[in-house]
Amino acid sequence: MAKTASAKKGTATILLVAFLTAAAAAFMALKVATDRVGREKLPGSSIIYIPSGKFLKYATFGYRALAADAIYLWAIQYYSTPTIDDRFDHFDHIFAIINELDPRYQDPYEVGALIAVQDAHNPAAAFSILDRGAANNPDQWVYPFNAGHVAMETLKDFPLAEKYFEQCLKIPGAPEFVERLRANAIFKKGDLRTSWETWLDIYKRAPDERTKKIASNHLYNVKAAIDSAVLEDAATKYRERFGHRPGDLEALVRTGFLREVPKDMDGQDYLYDPATGKVKTVTSPWRR
Amino acid sequence: MADAIRIDNLQKKFRLGFIPKTRQILKGITFSVREGEIFGYLGPNGAGKTTTIKCLLDLIHPDAGTIEIFGRSHLSPRSRQPLGFLPENPYFYDYLTAAEFLAFTADLFGLDRVEKKERITRLLKLVGLEQAARLPLRKFSRGMLQRAGLAQALVNDPKLVILDEPLGGMDPIGRKEIRDIIVRFKDEGKTVFFTSHILQDIEMICDRVAIIVGGRIVKEGVLRDLVSERVLFTEMTVSGLSPEAFRGLGESMSTRGDRVLLKVYDESKVEEVFALVHGQKGRLLSLSPRTETLEDIFIETVTRT
Amino acid sequence: MKIGAIARITFKEAKRDRILYLLFFFAALGIGGARVLAILTVGDRVKIIKDVGLASISLFGVLMAILIGTGLVYKEIDKKTIFTLLSKPLHRAEFILGKFLGLVLTLFVMTLFMSLIFLAIVYAHTLKVEGTLLVAIGYIFLELVLVTAVAILFSSFSTPILSSLFALAFYLIGHLSWGLELIFKKMTPGAGRTLVRAFYTVLPDLENFNFRTEVVHGLPIPPEIYLSSFLYGVCYTAFILGLAVLIFRRRDFI
Repeated sequence: MAKTASAKKGTATILLVAFLTAAAAAFMALKVATDRVGREKLPGSSIIYIPSGKFLKYATFGYRALAADAIYLWAIQYYSTPTIDDRFDHFDHIFAIINELDPRYQDPYEVGALIAVQDAHNPAAAFSILDRGAANNPDQWVYPFNAGHVAMETLKDFPLAEKYFEQCLKIPGAPEFVERLRANAIFKKGDLRTSWETWLDIYKRAPDERTKKIASNHLYNVKAAIDSAVLEDAATKYRERFGHRPGDLEALVRTGFLREVPKDMDGQDYLYDPATGKVKTVTSPWRR
Repeated sequence: MADAIRIDNLQKKFRLGFIPKTRQILKGITFSVREGEIFGYLGPNGAGKTTTIKCLLDLIHPDAGTIEIFGRSHLSPRSRQPLGFLPENPYFYDYLTAAEFLAFTADLFGLDRVEKKERITRLLKLVGLEQAARLPLRKFSRGMLQRAGLAQALVNDPKLVILDEPLGGMDPIGRKEIRDIIVRFKDEGKTVFFTSHILQDIEMICDRVAIIVGGRIVKEGVLRDLVSERVLFTEMTVSGLSPEAFRGLGESMSTRGDRVLLKVYDESKVEEVFALVHGQKGRLLSLSPRTETLEDIFIETVTRT
Repeated sequence: MKIGAIARITFKEAKRDRILYLLFFFAALGIGGARVLAILTVGDRVKIIKDVGLASISLFGVLMAILIGTGLVYKEIDKKTIFTLLSKPLHRAEFILGKFLGLVLTLFVMTLFMSLIFLAIVYAHTLKVEGTLLVAIGYIFLELVLVTAVAILFSSFSTPILSSLFALAFYLIGHLSWGLELIFKKMTPGAGRTLVRAFYTVLPDLENFNFRTEVVHGLPIPPEIYLSSFLYGVCYTAFILGLAVLIFRRRDFI
């Protein structure tokens, strides 16, 4: 009698375990089924109320860095979801929150700027992020560097690029090629004289042959630009006077529009095309 | 007569403490309780009395052994249908009133509504708690709780009533009341199983007893058989004679005024004392033979183990 | 019915717990506060009220389930009332199920009251009560039922503080399931991915009961999901309760 009762208890346990397995199998299958049902995600629905970074700083009870990490991770996924059409609406605000929570977290600045430029096509946001990065991390040269790069390549705003490269150079540890970028920015913005002086300075201080060569090429380029401007200006004056373009550059000297025909930095003559009035260099500055 | 309870080779060990140390509490308990009798389960503290009861009620799972209640394995909840249990301390829901508590207990036994109502009223009257029926249990005094406990043990009109230390902490009047109730149960045909270490009460009402020491049953049987009728010594109080007169006949225990209390071990010497007193014109004030009591057996058994 | 009897007294006991009313007070505050917050927004006021209202019901409901549920079984064992209870002709499973149903009943009543306040405020603003709001609340309640089962599971073998932490962890894990999904979707096929995927399927996904976003924005809800989410909740709850019974049956009450 007692034996069968303890056997009954044993079977009860077995039945219970069987029930548990069945229930587990059921809920796992249902989970897979539920996953398959596509639920409409409202674009940006999860971030309708975005508190300011300052508020979050206090609300996260000291786990600021962790919160910054979490939000950053979320942001990466969020911004790489192409189906959310309006995901860039609060782009800078969100990165501002991350930066505010953890000003020393470097990745969000760089990645944020990258996304701003490449995906959001919003360079202003990139500058906003990078300026914050520079302000919060005055020892990091990457931020003004990246900003200068954006200004140079995307906006083609050369004075702005120059400003950023200058700011970058003030930071100890900035790489020496930033000097060259700055010099180039000055050139591109049209201030040829300063550009020449800058490149000359670089040439004189060049620590190795390669840099010297690069500087030399740029100097050649700048001189060519200066000389071309002078020549073309004289040619235009000639044309105004005589009604036709000069046949060659000597003509400009002969008629007094030029004191002498400048030669390029290598002592070569410039090429002049009377048909178009354009001056070119004999060789490409970069293949001397 | 069937067995109300049959326990066979019950074993249980506990693993206690942070670094688990095993203690064997029950080392193979075997005994039976016959239907309709009053059975006393005695032992020193920590011997395993409460553990045995908890195994019986399926609160603890034994390592080995079997328990049957009216022939049904204790593992089945139905084995507890004819059972009433009064724990040592009242462990009741203190936010319920007495009536609610009894109603809940009745529900657990599956009593129907008519039965329930009638039982509750009768039980409250029986234990003298009619006035306090609407009072929440947390407002009850110790004595009232004890009575409520008794009521809840009787809700299902049980065939077997199990009481864990029912006489503990009670004054002599209370003890007498409980003894009377237990005897009344027997008259109603119920079986009573209770633990105690107040041996005088057990001696007064039990039919059979078992003594458990260190997790083992060391004595079991009908009370009358265990306690022999052998006279240990005779106590005599005499006056009018000095203690020296009784030298060689008995031990003089105490003297007050001219009264002497004597302990006479040898039964044959009693007659001699009697004759001496009579001859010396003294007076015999009292004579009481002292037989072996349960306490004597208990102490002897425990100290021997 | 014995389970019913235990459920009834559990309800009686639970409704005496002051925490219930404290949390209800804060929930009412939250729902009412939504009304105040709405004044500060530009644009759709009702949306904030619905959002905050549903969030309050959900959050405080979960807190109620955890804080009360984790004490339920533990108190019985600690106060030893369980001796009196289990000495009756009762299966241990009936005890667990009774406690569970009692707490579910308590939560039902509390959710009902919170919902009434919430719907009253919404009605005051929009002069109508959308059926979808009731659906959202219904599934919030289903989530509460599951959390209750979990609280009782832990309560059957652990102290209230630890049980609360475990139950809270369950809740948090349940709402971060999407994170696991993201991870394994980006992993290369292999043992690691299978493992993560296994975890993902076994661990709870409480977002299945979250229709708040859809309801508040008026997005359509695919009808298949109603049934599969509901069954998911039922099966998972059954599993948790089964586990609780299994553990509880083996306990010795010394």
